Amino acid sequence: MAKDHPILTYSVKPPKGEAQVWLTAMGLAIGIVMVVGLLGLILKRGTDVFWPKRVVEIQLKEGGSLLGEIVLRQKNLKTGREEWLVHSGNKSKDDPGSAYRYVDTGEVTGTTEPAGVMKAKRMEYGDALFYPVNLTARDGASLRVSDAGFNEKLKALMKTGESERRQVEKLEKVEIGRINQKIQDLDNKIKVNPASAESLTAEKASLQAEYEKLAAQARGLHEALGKDILRCRLVGGEERDQAIGELIRIYEPNKLGFWSRLRTAISQFWDFLSEDPREANTEGGIFPAIFGTFVMTILMSAVVTPLGVIAAIYLREYARQGLLVQVVRISVNNLAGVPSIVFGVFGLGFFVYTIGSHVDEWFFSDALPTPTFGTGGILWASLTLALLTLPVVIVATEEALAAVPRGVREAALACGASKWQTIQRVVLPASAPGVLTGVILAMARGAGEVAPLMLVGVVKLAPALPLDTQAPFIHAERKFMHLGFHIFDVGFQSPDSLAAQPMVYATTLLLITLVVIMNLAAILLRNKLRKKYAAGTF
Amino acid sequence: MPPTSPDVPGRFLVSKGILRIDRFMTAAIRLGGLGIIIAVFGIFVFIVSQVLPLFRGAKVEETSAIPFAAGKAPLVFGIDEWAELPFYYEGGSEVTFVDATGAKPPQTLPLTLPGGAQVTAASYISADQLVVVGTADGQVGTFTVSYDAEFGDSGKRSIVPSVTIGEFYPVGTSGGSIRSVGYGDSGDSKVAAAVQESGGKLEVHAVLLRQKRSLMGSGKLTKEGAYDLTPLLTGAPLQLRVPRTGDSVLVTTAEGVVDYIFLGGDAPEKRQEFKPFGEGRKIGSIDLVFGDVSLVLTDDLGEMSIFSLLVPEGGEQRVFVKTKTLPNLAGPASFFARSQRNKLFLTGSGAQVSLRHSTTEQVRWEKTVGFEVKGAVIDAKCASFALLDSDGNLHRYSLDDPHPEAGWKAYFGKVWYEGATKPDYTWQSTSGTDDFEPKLSLRPLIHGTLKGTFWALFFAVPIALLAAVYTAQFLRVEVKRVVKPMMEIMASLPSVVLGFLAALWLAPIIESRVPSVFLTFAGVPLTAAVVGVAWSRLPAQHRARLRPGMEWVAFIPIMLVAAWIFWSLGPVLESWICVVRDASGNPVTDPATGRTVMDFRAWWPQATGTPFEQRNSLVVGIMMGFAVIPVIFTIAEDALSNVPASLTAASAALGASRWQTLRKVVLPIASSGIFSALMIGLGRAVGETMIVVMATGNTPVMDWNLFNGMRTLSANIATELPEAPVHSTLYRTLFLGALVLFALTFLLNTAAELLRHRLREKYKLV
Repeated sequence: MAKDHPILTYSVKPPKGEAQVWLTAMGLAIGIVMVVGLLGLILKRGTDVFWPKRVVEIQLKEGGSLLGEIVLRQKNLKTGREEWLVHSGNKSKDDPGSAYRYVDTGEVTGTTEPAGVMKAKRMEYGDALFYPVNLTARDGASLRVSDAGFNEKLKALMKTGESERRQVEKLEKVEIGRINQKIQDLDNKIKVNPASAESLTAEKASLQAEYEKLAAQARGLHEALGKDILRCRLVGGEERDQAIGELIRIYEPNKLGFWSRLRTAISQFWDFLSEDPREANTEGGIFPAIFGTFVMTILMSAVVTPLGVIAAIYLREYARQGLLVQVVRISVNNLAGVPSIVFGVFGLGFFVYTIGSHVDEWFFSDALPTPTFGTGGILWASLTLALLTLPVVIVATEEALAAVPRGVREAALACGASKWQTIQRVVLPASAPGVLTGVILAMARGAGEVAPLMLVGVVKLAPALPLDTQAPFIHAERKFMHLGFHIFDVGFQSPDSLAAQPMVYATTLLLITLVVIMNLAAILLRNKLRKKYAAGTF
Repeated sequence: MPPTSPDVPGRFLVSKGILRIDRFMTAAIRLGGLGIIIAVFGIFVFIVSQVLPLFRGAKVEETSAIPFAAGKAPLVFGIDEWAELPFYYEGGSEVTFVDATGAKPPQTLPLTLPGGAQVTAASYISADQLVVVGTADGQVGTFTVSYDAEFGDSGKRSIVPSVTIGEFYPVGTSGGSIRSVGYGDSGDSKVAAAVQESGGKLEVHAVLLRQKRSLMGSGKLTKEGAYDLTPLLTGAPLQLRVPRTGDSVLVTTAEGVVDYIFLGGDAPEKRQEFKPFGEGRKIGSIDLVFGDVSLVLTDDLGEMSIFSLLVPEGGEQRVFVKTKTLPNLAGPASFFARSQRNKLFLTGSGAQVSLRHSTTEQVRWEKTVGFEVKGAVIDAKCASFALLDSDGNLHRYSLDDPHPEAGWKAYFGKVWYEGATKPDYTWQSTSGTDDFEPKLSLRPLIHGTLKGTFWALFFAVPIALLAAVYTAQFLRVEVKRVVKPMMEIMASLPSVVLGFLAALWLAPIIESRVPSVFLTFAGVPLTAAVVGVAWSRLPAQHRARLRPGMEWVAFIPIMLVAAWIFWSLGPVLESWICVVRDASGNPVTDPATGRTVMDFRAWWPQATGTPFEQRNSLVVGIMMGFAVIPVIFTIAEDALSNVPASLTAASAALGASRWQTLRKVVLPIASSGIFSALMIGLGRAVGETMIVVMATGNTPVMDWNLFNGMRTLSANIATELPEAPVHSTLYRTLFLGALVLFALTFLLNTAAELLRHRLREKYKLV
């Protein structure tokens, strides 16, 4: 307001209360710094995960040295010196300790960045940092690191390893899974009808034999994978054999320039998006969590949109406006403020334990006492979140309907349109952006919620996706993974929490990006909508 | 209404199809919309329906009365877990089983007592299906009455009883007839005790047996000692009880005293004698409830008290202390039966039958039946009980009391739990042992919720309101268009992200820098005040350089520098104040560095006597503040900007400065809107789950200590509900917690909405 009255600001005697204005400015400054700082922190930590760091060799006072990436530098308040958090990797079966170590700079005599060091991402035990020595392939070829063609051979062996790993995965997940499903179905049949046991036993035995065959095939591939060996020298001089088939990615971090670093980062980010998790979720990708979140959010919107729109149309267009509708409107609005955990409690009690257990009794009694729908699953989770987000959609739709100018409706009615025709052809299209805003806001809220999901079907590791190629393709009863729950689980339930942190920051970055994009889209839509009506009113 | 007049041309008529669709849609939307809205409110109804059974009493119905032991004088009787085949034992050499369904005639199973002894006393331990007997020649022994369910070809269940005789031990004076027996078996130590008549006098004797357990299984039972306890007694023994702990004997005497004799040591020792009912009163009955650490005592007038074993404050040994008083019975208890699942017990005097719960001191059900009750037994599933009348008929009752431990007192009152030194509000829903007493007080959880909310608002309200005031009144409009969505983005941050950052990023930082945090919190507003005062004293030409409404941008670098300075000053403050001292008050020196230890973490518990945890309310307060700030900010900002411009313009025209306009015109008008913003913020903080689950230790404590954790209602639901068995008391209690949250937030939001409504009316007026 002040700028409209320049005399206030430019008077010789200072206006009263300028000091207090600075105090309120502090409030806004803190708020903005908090938002920017928090988003910046997540962005920094989240992208850091993928950016290849230089590997340093740290010489220690006590003798010996340490090879690793310096992840964090901080001041130790006790000693007053800087200390480094060093990620040295190289966990193994015999040495499963932490891959991280704090180093007091007072103990460090010097650091070098050796060029020949290699970093490997492995299927098990996390990263490895080593100097390659030689490799022995299963075809008998043996190459020293100094030999020509060493790198090409290594890459080629890794490629075969990868294709063999995929074969094993396909065998184990798809084919053996299918046989197991059949065996389980047979078992259920036998349980329901013991008389048929004899005729079915033969069938079961043949399935069993097929299973054995596939399992043997998988074992054979596994063995083959372990036959290409890379001999590596660790920093202490100790040499270890590493199966090349276990390596997912190798690079020489100290030889990379900026662009190859960027390429590596992007490719690691892609792996993160597209792969399954490994090592109790602390390594690998988060594809199932992304997929689970996506399917759940879509299912939720498919339920919440029609329900919310119908309820809003009823409240705004059909119900007689009076005290009762006003009370209902306020109550619906207030439901948006009810804690999400309450909806989770309702979902568990009503959907899972009441409806789900009845569905089981009627349709899946063969499998009982193992519940099918009588336990948490993606359907119940979606319905629970649909209820949770229903008020958001109703309120947004109502606002949009209310904003459609009266004149437009009257014009439609005057042209002879029926009430429904007016709504269908005029009012709804005009308020579509508003409805969309509501749905996007609901999706953003649904994607970020965790507390109710913990009660109705989210798990830390789902064996199968809720959508796949096995009939009936959509498995609404399956448990699923979720980005938000993934953050909670990996950050809090993993044994080596330091090793899990990069994963959590990366997941957080992804979730925040999704939610922020959705919210920004909703805000932009809303602004556009406002402009449209600003022009439309008369 | 379609016009029906014939002179309207057809092309002006609405086609029937369209009308039909219109009618159909009208009906569909009315039905659907109404249905959806009703369904949404069904949430509330459903949760209430899940909670209601907690507050119901026991449902008891007489199912049948069967002739059982007519004309006989049974010493003991018992029942199987399906309540179909009760038995009685008269003291002879057979046990009689009566089919309660009447399908089969009574059957008897033989029992061979050693040496053909004659049984003079017996008692029944229903949990072990064990009958303890004392004989006329001074022996105490046991036999087991077990039931096995067998399924025939048709899948029909039949119950096959069997009787197995156990060991018999001579107790006390040989040949003295036994009047009353007691037996306690903890697995590796067993105590058999008896009141024996010897030479016209009553004596109490006990035998202690031990069973060595090894990896190979249970070893041989050895007799550890036989004791004459009579010299330890206060008077003539009346009744005798041996708890399952197998290490003590409880004897009531004619003087109204209970003697608690401990046998677990080297020699018998009288640990305690107490008069439960004052001078001149006699003890009518003494019985143990499930768990065997609480005694239910009645006096000769029917007054009932519960004494529990506990270590009193300042004491060293566990003794019995009066913990509860229950409503009086009509007279001394003449029968007693206890549940084997919970702390329910059935007792009464004469024709009065009363089902009570020891934890909550509640009478769950009471009735005066039409006969004198001689004995009672509750089945193992606690689904029925049976009463024996004086004519030898057995009256069977169905019992439905799934939630005896629930009730207003259990949830909101102080309860003196077994083993505790005083009545308290406690939440501890599960434990490893079967005879655990669930502690379901909601008070610590509500307290935790309020504590978390308080600290969150403490942090959030000043920032949010100051920012809202500045944004609405001083900020340039074009900047506001960017700033407001930014703050709204903050509202959309998933709480799991905030919780994760709170626990893994913020908590470790704060833990080591508490003084820095406090200094920064105090320092930044101080800086703002100093800068503000200094600025307003500047000559006008200098002030003119900064456009009004851009102060916040100028303040950001100043604030960051100030915050950094105050943050670095933290350790200095710490070294002045937080000197850790040892027991004699001398500063402690760190042996590694040779410097005095100055650590807030160690100093705080020393200075205040309250604990310091890494994941504490300060962390939760700050992070939950993050979640609450945008909520309060948005609503308060709306309320402030909606104050009609005519008012502010008028104020400015009268010569008021922008601060005076805000203070005297805008704030009073928008106050109810600001208040409603606070309420909605409060609602958000009350229900916040993930931040609390992740950033606190989730211990249900009741204090306001900033450096301690808490457990909130919502976090409690999130952690316990996935493991709670369906429809169990815990399950329903967690639903009650959800209902409390629902009601609380709904009320807060409604109040806020009403306030905003009032505000709108106000705007209309001006």
